[in-house]
Amino acid sequence: MTFAAIIELAVNGLITGILYALVALGIALIFGVLKIVNFAHGEFYMLGGYAGYVAVTLLGLHPAAGVVVGMAAVFLVGAAVEKTLIKPIHLGKVERADEYAIMITFALSVLLLNLMLSIFGPWPQRPQAIFSGVFEFGPVLLPGDRLAAALVGAIIILVFMAVLRWSWIGMAVRAVSQDRGAAQAFGINIDRVSTFAFAIGAALAGGAGALIGPVFNVVPQMGLVLVIKAYVIVVLGGMGSIPGAVLGALILGQVESFVPILISDPARGMAYRDAYGLVVLVLVLLVRPQGLFGRKERRA
Amino acid sequence: MKLTAPSSFIAVAFVALCLMLPFFGLPEYWLYVVSIGFYYALLASSWSLLVGYVGRISFAQAAMSGFGAYVALLTSAYLDLSPLPGIVIGALAAGAVGIVVGALTLRLHGAYLGLTTIALAEILRITATAEHQLTRGTRGYAAPPLWEGISQTEYYYVFLAVLLVSLGLMLWLLHSRIGLFFQAIREDEDGAASLGVRVTLWKVLAFALSTAFAGLAGGLYAHFIQLIAPSMMSMQEMGYVLSMAVIGGFANVIHAALGGVLLQLLLEWLRELGEWRLVFFGAVAILVLRFAPNGIFGTLDNWASRRAR
Amino acid sequence: MASQLEITKLTKNFGGLRALKGIDLSFEKGELVGLIGPNGSGKTTLLNIIGGYYSATSGQVSLDGQRCDGKNPVALSRMGIGRSFQVTKVFKRLTVLENLMVGALAHAGTSRRAAEAHAREVLERLKLSRLANEPATNLSGGQAKLLEFGRIMMLSSKVVLLDEPFGGVHPDLKRFMYDKIREWNAGGTTIILVSHDMGSIFGLCRRVVTLSYGEIIADGSPEAVRNDPAVLEAYLGDRHAA
Repeated sequence: MTFAAIIELAVNGLITGILYALVALGIALIFGVLKIVNFAHGEFYMLGGYAGYVAVTLLGLHPAAGVVVGMAAVFLVGAAVEKTLIKPIHLGKVERADEYAIMITFALSVLLLNLMLSIFGPWPQRPQAIFSGVFEFGPVLLPGDRLAAALVGAIIILVFMAVLRWSWIGMAVRAVSQDRGAAQAFGINIDRVSTFAFAIGAALAGGAGALIGPVFNVVPQMGLVLVIKAYVIVVLGGMGSIPGAVLGALILGQVESFVPILISDPARGMAYRDAYGLVVLVLVLLVRPQGLFGRKERRA
Repeated sequence: MKLTAPSSFIAVAFVALCLMLPFFGLPEYWLYVVSIGFYYALLASSWSLLVGYVGRISFAQAAMSGFGAYVALLTSAYLDLSPLPGIVIGALAAGAVGIVVGALTLRLHGAYLGLTTIALAEILRITATAEHQLTRGTRGYAAPPLWEGISQTEYYYVFLAVLLVSLGLMLWLLHSRIGLFFQAIREDEDGAASLGVRVTLWKVLAFALSTAFAGLAGGLYAHFIQLIAPSMMSMQEMGYVLSMAVIGGFANVIHAALGGVLLQLLLEWLRELGEWRLVFFGAVAILVLRFAPNGIFGTLDNWASRRAR
Repeated sequence: MASQLEITKLTKNFGGLRALKGIDLSFEKGELVGLIGPNGSGKTTLLNIIGGYYSATSGQVSLDGQRCDGKNPVALSRMGIGRSFQVTKVFKRLTVLENLMVGALAHAGTSRRAAEAHAREVLERLKLSRLANEPATNLSGGQAKLLEFGRIMMLSSKVVLLDEPFGGVHPDLKRFMYDKIREWNAGGTTIILVSHDMGSIFGLCRRVVTLSYGEIIADGSPEAVRNDPAVLEAYLGDRHAA
């Protein structure tokens, strides 16, 4: 195993980890503020991919602008979804709130997936990357499109964390996620914070989709596998824990990069590849549902 | 559900219609379509048993149907059995999985339970795809007919009979004290436990019954369409089942069953729309969940009882 | 004569916090006992251990000579321990009648007809008969509290733990509830009442046990406890010290 190969694997792992982190952060944010598990999150990622594709391939925008368009489009969708479907829960207009949130986001995921499938067809689309070509760092070869995606992704994550930590809106978000009632008593408009948090969470996923589109293709089902992995990360890190989500994502990225070369994997091992994360998810939920960093709460 | 509720009349009328359908001289194709409707009705109603009455959310219904189907076909093939015992074994195997999953997930609720069932469903589907030496993977596994020389009409009546008997069993159970325990668990598990309700037992039983009926449906379906693939275990299929139960009314097995048959008919009628059908179903399911959570038939009953006051 | 409910050297630690420090307590059949103490005294912990929600760190609880600590609430209900909750846990989407019947039907050997008859009788005693077919979600707060009473009455328990049953209840309804509790107790049921409402404790109970910081500091008649300096200090001591 040459040093160059190790670096390449580590960097690939980092790239994947950054993209997982974008999606996982969105889930953690939505769960933290709205206390719901969003079963349509993978479809927000997928929508971002298609929005980016439309912007770049069909409207001729620069790939970087495609990412912005992707995030903006999904932000708007997220806001609309929150206002029409999710807000009624907190306004007491829905009986059986827990069941409702689960089933309506699941139904939404069915709707969005099939909507994109109907409009664009099942064939993979591949918009132009932000940066093509290969970077050479001595013996190490790194594909430019992936590097660019990871770089932009990392910037988005850092901006998000900074806003969360140092801005007024970030503080409001953190307040609402810790104690809704107290936050309201202090005059924070929790309705607006909720909509904003959901929309941002969706936009983060959309951004990841727009970034990954040029690298790995855009297909209607792209959210299905990814969202399971994102939930593995979030559950492992602790639902609602932002640092947990980032850490878990980076770890999973490295694991997925290095484990396959450690196991002499026949074709069957590869066929089960997506199942490993699922097994981890089930084990974590059964053994330690609060994850590594989460708070132990009534899991309902 | 009161005997005088509108949905009861609709259900009885519908059963009568179904019993007589083959005599209307329609093309066999329609018997085929309605039989598939009975398949979905069984899936939707057994799903609502768990989700509507006990309040335990599961997204594994379609996967368990496929599981029952594969077990039925594989045991028949390897043990040289005829289809019917194979189907029974498939149903029992699915029930056994339900017991295990029900027991393991006792302390999970709501979305965490939902996530776990999605993961389990996908694990089953991926296994069916990966073990292709056994299951023929995505190319599909061919099944013999239920018995030699069976006709479309005979299939139709077999499916209808299985559906009616299954619904009968479910209704009998749900109107007994066990049904009351199920609902008490849904409303307040701790409160039920403090009154002496054996919460663990009933939760596991509910899960097992739900999966056993799904496995039964799957086994029967396999011998009906005679070619199964892992796609019958997918989340898309689960999307169908959920939409059907929700739109019919997932708090009531009869409403869910009606939802299953009617939406299958609609699916067939809108065939040219392709994937737009699921967009439509998803949208209707969302609207129903938001504005008429008891489903079409539940809302109809509520409206009727309000007018009667 | 052995007592009905015997608590021996019961200790409960939550990490470093010693909630109960070796409590010895016994209850005779048919007693109506009040359990009081300031916040943090351990009375809720004691109730939860008897009710099967916590297990003890050490010590034991016995009912009629049979060990019952460490058992889950379902088993305890079958052994004869009933419990109400501070937050009402009625089954909202079931009718009042169904709410009452669940407990009776959970005990094997009870026919549906017998359970329904018993339920209607309890409804009559609680003056809730006209609400029999009403979904429990439509009940007022006070009616819901009465329904909770009713549900436990249906169980024919030997020992009943009432956890703050009078919270937010209208004074008229409270007096009605006092009568029902006395009737219930007169029928032979041992009742342990946990409450901050001193009026109800002293009005109902013939024996009052006071806890403070996990220990019993007083156990006697209401008058004796009311005047006990240790009790006064436990409730008022902090204020005087400050």
